[in-house]
Amino acid sequence: MTARAGADVPVEASVEQVRAQVAAWLAENWQPGGGGPQWRERLVDSGWAAPTWPVEWFGRGLHRDLRRVVAEEFTRAGAKPAALDVTQLFANTILAHGTDEQKRSFVRPLALGEQQGCLLYSEPGAGSDLAALQTRAERDGDTWVVNGQKVWTSGAREATHGFLVARTDWDVPKHRGLTFFWLPLDQPGVDIRPIHQVTGGSEFNEVFLTDAVVADSHRLGEVDGGWRVLQTALGFERLIMGAAAGGSSRQRRPAGGGETTLADRQSPWTRQIGGADYVELAKKVGKADDPVTRQEIARLYTLEKVNAWNGLRARADAGRGASSPLASIGKLAMSRIVHTGVSVTTNLLGTSSVLDGDTDPVAAEVNRSSFAAFVTSIGGGTDQIQRNIIGERVLGLPREPEVDKLVPFREVRKAQATRRFS
Amino acid sequence: MLTTGQYLGSTGRLEATVGTFEFTDDHEALRSTVRAFVEETFPEAQVRRLMAAPSALERPVWERMARELGLQGLVVPEEHGGAGAGPVELAIVLEEFGRRLVPVPFLSTALATIALTGGDRAVTAGYLEAVAEGRVVATVALAEDDGGWDAAGVHCAAVSDDGDGGAGDRGGWRLTGTKSFVPDGMDADLLVVAARTPAGVGLFAVDGAADGVSRSELEVFDLTRRLARVRLDGVAATPLSAPADTAAFDRFLDAARVAVAAEQAGGADFTLAMAVGYAKERVQFGRAIGSFQAIKHLCADALVDVESARSAAYYGAWAIAQDSPEVATVAPLAKAFCSDTFFATAQTNMQVHGGISFTYEHPAHLYYRRAKSGAQLWGSPRANRDLLATRIGL
Repeated sequence: MTARAGADVPVEASVEQVRAQVAAWLAENWQPGGGGPQWRERLVDSGWAAPTWPVEWFGRGLHRDLRRVVAEEFTRAGAKPAALDVTQLFANTILAHGTDEQKRSFVRPLALGEQQGCLLYSEPGAGSDLAALQTRAERDGDTWVVNGQKVWTSGAREATHGFLVARTDWDVPKHRGLTFFWLPLDQPGVDIRPIHQVTGGSEFNEVFLTDAVVADSHRLGEVDGGWRVLQTALGFERLIMGAAAGGSSRQRRPAGGGETTLADRQSPWTRQIGGADYVELAKKVGKADDPVTRQEIARLYTLEKVNAWNGLRARADAGRGASSPLASIGKLAMSRIVHTGVSVTTNLLGTSSVLDGDTDPVAAEVNRSSFAAFVTSIGGGTDQIQRNIIGERVLGLPREPEVDKLVPFREVRKAQATRRFS
Repeated sequence: MLTTGQYLGSTGRLEATVGTFEFTDDHEALRSTVRAFVEETFPEAQVRRLMAAPSALERPVWERMARELGLQGLVVPEEHGGAGAGPVELAIVLEEFGRRLVPVPFLSTALATIALTGGDRAVTAGYLEAVAEGRVVATVALAEDDGGWDAAGVHCAAVSDDGDGGAGDRGGWRLTGTKSFVPDGMDADLLVVAARTPAGVGLFAVDGAADGVSRSELEVFDLTRRLARVRLDGVAATPLSAPADTAAFDRFLDAARVAVAAEQAGGADFTLAMAVGYAKERVQFGRAIGSFQAIKHLCADALVDVESARSAAYYGAWAIAQDSPEVATVAPLAKAFCSDTFFATAQTNMQVHGGISFTYEHPAHLYYRRAKSGAQLWGSPRANRDLLATRIGL
């Protein structure tokens, strides 16, 4: 851990070197079937849990192109690569914007899973327009006092802390008066309530902050500089989503040079409508010969396939270092797929689609999916916001004029700041 | 002007097709060479001049395409004077031609070439060499007056001169019937004709100048793709392969679907670029109209479709190159999706342009016309989706 292993070595030159280092470390430290807290601790302290983090902060200082090499060696040995430098968005953000003291205090507990984070961004009055948030943080000596409400917080009940964005200056335009904190949740001023969702589940929470306190030592970045920190954190969130959506852009093809075909890459959602796929369901309900049904199913199949191919093409483009608009369109495309899928299955079921529960489990599944489709078309940026992003960032169309851009936030027309959903 | 040798790289041929969607430097060089050629040779003024001319074919340009760029020989095997490239490379060229509505009979000749390469080389070698050298314009005559684009729509009768007309009969044949919607049928020196034998449907080579061939030009909506009706009255014909080789015929149809899809993807891509370009420069209400979400969202939705169309066409090309069983589903999928996308994008383009798109002087209508004809020729989106439904098990 004293040498800056590979940090300044050109990527090509150090691949084999890194491979050998990982293999040697695993040979010494990994027992097949192992795991558990002791292994986790050893892994984190070795730097191999987050190879691209700096050597002094639990990493190996490697170039990000070498992540793949590390992961391959772990997989080869039968150990799960931690890849915290991809998945640990809290530590990633703290490493990007934190002080040395903050890195010392927070990164290791996060890496070990002793601390867990949640995201306190959205509010009842700040959804698509996140910069319009109204939770206020007011300074009181070395601490800040926080009042307001956050919403759509997943994992809040399991988390120890949250990334909080709060307004600290009301007399400047909206983006310029925000500050970013690492807020401890285990305190009287924090009230977490699960939201009863239309799907029947409660993955999301609302978080009421009433004179909650956070030490100034838990502030990330400058006072009123929170928007910048937030952009970094959102970037790390997209990195996780990108990894979840398709793995590494430099994924190796299977041995023998075979190409991954897409036949088995069906969207899991469509294959699990009452345990049958569309084709089987159409046959079961006697509509396999119905021309409209055939068109609808072929069209849905097409939408799923082209989106999967877009994903493959995006990774191939990224592998060649070519810029590609493909990465930006997947979410919007998926929204159309899931809503179309619900429409197709509902048409297949016909009248029985009005049933629910144990009376008709297939209909119940379709009904649940019909609501779940809105997670794609609303969550993480609505389809309309996605279209703005595609229009502006990919196609280069001009932005809509913003009436609140240069106005002190205090004077801006605002949505209702709090609203209890639970 | 770059030559074949330059864009095919130092080995003299395109690198064998590698992993799906992995375009090589040779592919990019091919694309930029063809784009430069098309932009230089077929600017809009030239396209409009050819629209008004008795024929869109100018032999010197056609010969230059073959001699200097090797385009007609792109998918002709090397031993017959071609570059020995495959469907991926052809897709790139067709995409570029589609972007600029190039009115020369390239797609027609390419489809005929696909049919020829799938045939018996003892029969097709001479044709392939003539195509690669630019001496011959070729087309495929598939549909008839009822406008069907599969074996069921083929009624033109093939009768054996001397044999029994069975599957193994390779003697002289005579064709009688009427083919219609034949792309570039007036200009073609070589007609690849789908005809029905007692044993099934097959593809036959017919000399355009042979006795018994009479053609008439159809009045068409698409001003950059000409169609002809071709009467065959006991015309001498040579089967490209065993006359009732249904599998070869199906393979040809799938390859044709993907090739047409690639051309449409190019047209769609260019049409969207036109719309976006105009949305950035046209000012109303004191701002560029592209800043209005009503316009911006039309363009964003079109981008999703256009990129998806390109993926479908490329995937289809790669599936053919890899001789994958997926061809059966990808080919009708790509044709249907690229057809719908090009047409929808051409509509969006006219809508974004507003009044100016209603003028003959503006090119938006030329793309709309091309999108409409491309959608119906080689099988409508509906027919292809129905075929897809069958092929996924419905």
